[in-house]
Amino acid sequence: MVILREGVCPGINEEFIKALQSEDIKTVEDFVSCNPEELARKCSLSYALVAVRRVLLAQYTAFPVSGADLYEELLSSTAILSTGNPSLDKLLDSGLYTGEITELTGSPGSGKTQVCFSVAVNISHQLKQTVFYIDTKSGMCANRLLQMLQTKTPNMEEQMEALQKIKVFRVFDVFSLLACLQNLRSNGLQRASVGGGSVKALMVDSVSAVLSSMLGGKQNEGMSLLMQVAGELKMIAKDFNIAVLVTNHVTKDGNGHLKAGLGQSWSHVSRTRVLLRRVEDAGTSSLRTATLTKSSRQACHLVEEFDLCHWSEERRTSISGKRKLEERSKP
Amino acid sequence: TANERPRYRAEESSGRSYRPDCRTPNPFLIQFCIHPGDVVEFHGLEGTGKTETLYHLITRCIMPVQSGGLEVAVVFVDTDYHFDMLRLVSVLEGRLAEGSKEGDGSENESEERVRSCLCRLSVVHCNSSVQLLLTLQYLENTFSSQPSLCLLIIDSISSFYWVDRFNGGESTVCQEANLRKCAELLDRLRRNYGIVIFATTHAIMRNYASDPGVSEVPGSSSSSSSRRWRSADSTTDFDKPYLCKAWQRIVTHRMLFTKSHVSKDHKQVFSTACTSIMTKGVKRCLFHVMEDGIKFACDK
Repeated sequence: MVILREGVCPGINEEFIKALQSEDIKTVEDFVSCNPEELARKCSLSYALVAVRRVLLAQYTAFPVSGADLYEELLSSTAILSTGNPSLDKLLDSGLYTGEITELTGSPGSGKTQVCFSVAVNISHQLKQTVFYIDTKSGMCANRLLQMLQTKTPNMEEQMEALQKIKVFRVFDVFSLLACLQNLRSNGLQRASVGGGSVKALMVDSVSAVLSSMLGGKQNEGMSLLMQVAGELKMIAKDFNIAVLVTNHVTKDGNGHLKAGLGQSWSHVSRTRVLLRRVEDAGTSSLRTATLTKSSRQACHLVEEFDLCHWSEERRTSISGKRKLEERSKP
Repeated sequence: TANERPRYRAEESSGRSYRPDCRTPNPFLIQFCIHPGDVVEFHGLEGTGKTETLYHLITRCIMPVQSGGLEVAVVFVDTDYHFDMLRLVSVLEGRLAEGSKEGDGSENESEERVRSCLCRLSVVHCNSSVQLLLTLQYLENTFSSQPSLCLLIIDSISSFYWVDRFNGGESTVCQEANLRKCAELLDRLRRNYGIVIFATTHAIMRNYASDPGVSEVPGSSSSSSSRRWRSADSTTDFDKPYLCKAWQRIVTHRMLFTKSHVSKDHKQVFSTACTSIMTKGVKRCLFHVMEDGIKFACDK
């Protein structure tokens, strides 16, 4: 709702607003929805009404962009960030795409936070780009990041440089999350890119920790906040060409299959979704499988196996087609 | 010759301009009895092929006539940053390659062709229902001045449902005000200009036919949903119409998208069931989603 006030646009003064209020028109959308000639007659205002209407429309509408221009822009600005793990890259069709939201789901202990760490370390060290990490669960552990970097390079300076490129924000409820995202959008991201090294990735671990407590019951606020968080993340991804990675918990659906948490409304938000699971009866406890459950680029239900401890290695044992079908039918 | 011109269809009532008929390259629209001036709602859960079908429609409309298209302009209103240009381009390239002769293949030429097709597409991003309303007002001028525009797509019109519902407080009228105005505006657009309007809505409300489970509570605003949209089959219980009455009144066709079965060669089959206010019964259609777009496998 945009309230008509003096100064909303040139040409609107107090008498103008009073005359409109006598016709019960208080907001911009009411004003624009009315027929200008009728309005001019009823309020005995001059026909300059039409000019004001045009200016208001120009200020508040979104403008159409030609598909060709959009495509050009996308070609020149989209980047694919490798996750550092060949199996995960294969699943994601080379890596995280900028301008999109990728979602990692999994039950507790399935490795979502560890995957986020490994991807952040890869982006900051290998690709030398800044990563913004929003931590809602106090899972961020700088020692672990250092440990990961130490396996990549013995050089202390390089390790410090990479650590400096990972900026951590701690938020513990949805309102501070929204405030953090809005701050980033209005000044944080530009500042970071001016300071040298552009921001290419934003991670939120986890989005369900702050949102799931707001949902349920007859509250509308929770759903509205969920959609606002989704809107902020998407705007950040699109406007700043950033790859957004979020983590989510899982619940069981009617048939006992695992599905992403936060409900139907959230499921439309991410472009790509990966389900992480522990490998049962495995020798090492760090083996995980990743299943592609939503993708616009690849067939769904592709499964890849990887080892959390050996991030950059390719897993020799690949999963055959038969086993993929079995994975799908397993509860 | 007659084949090279875009095909125009004379309108019954006087005063409407001649507009190209978007059904010409899209036979499945004829099967569902969709005419210019209709409002079609695509309803379904995520991942059921709604946006893919839209890309299919768009490519068929913007492609040149030689490749089987209509060469007309399309306006795409994107409300949740959902539009995947790269996917649209890969579908477009696939169709252009199919339609072109052999030996036509230099890379620059194909890029040129894609670019010239994309010039006919306009994309608008809206991030609130107020902006959607004002943008549709602005687009009215575009429609009146461009007679080659025959398709308006809104993906999706339900994105602002929860935000509007919260902002409107306790009053349902306040909550639905913006969408109601949008629906009235869309009604005017389709009557005055004879365009076809496609809008997707996300299926987020359960029908509560069986046990409720963990799901969003519909609340009082949608408890009295219009009876005419009760679908004939209940393979899904996520087809409850929840948007305001004004919107439901202008919708002429409602297509319910679901994931059907997995075919013998391990391909996911999608199904769409169309109900309309003008004909009785449900018309169904099956399709696959391939690398270069949708392949229909329709049955009557």
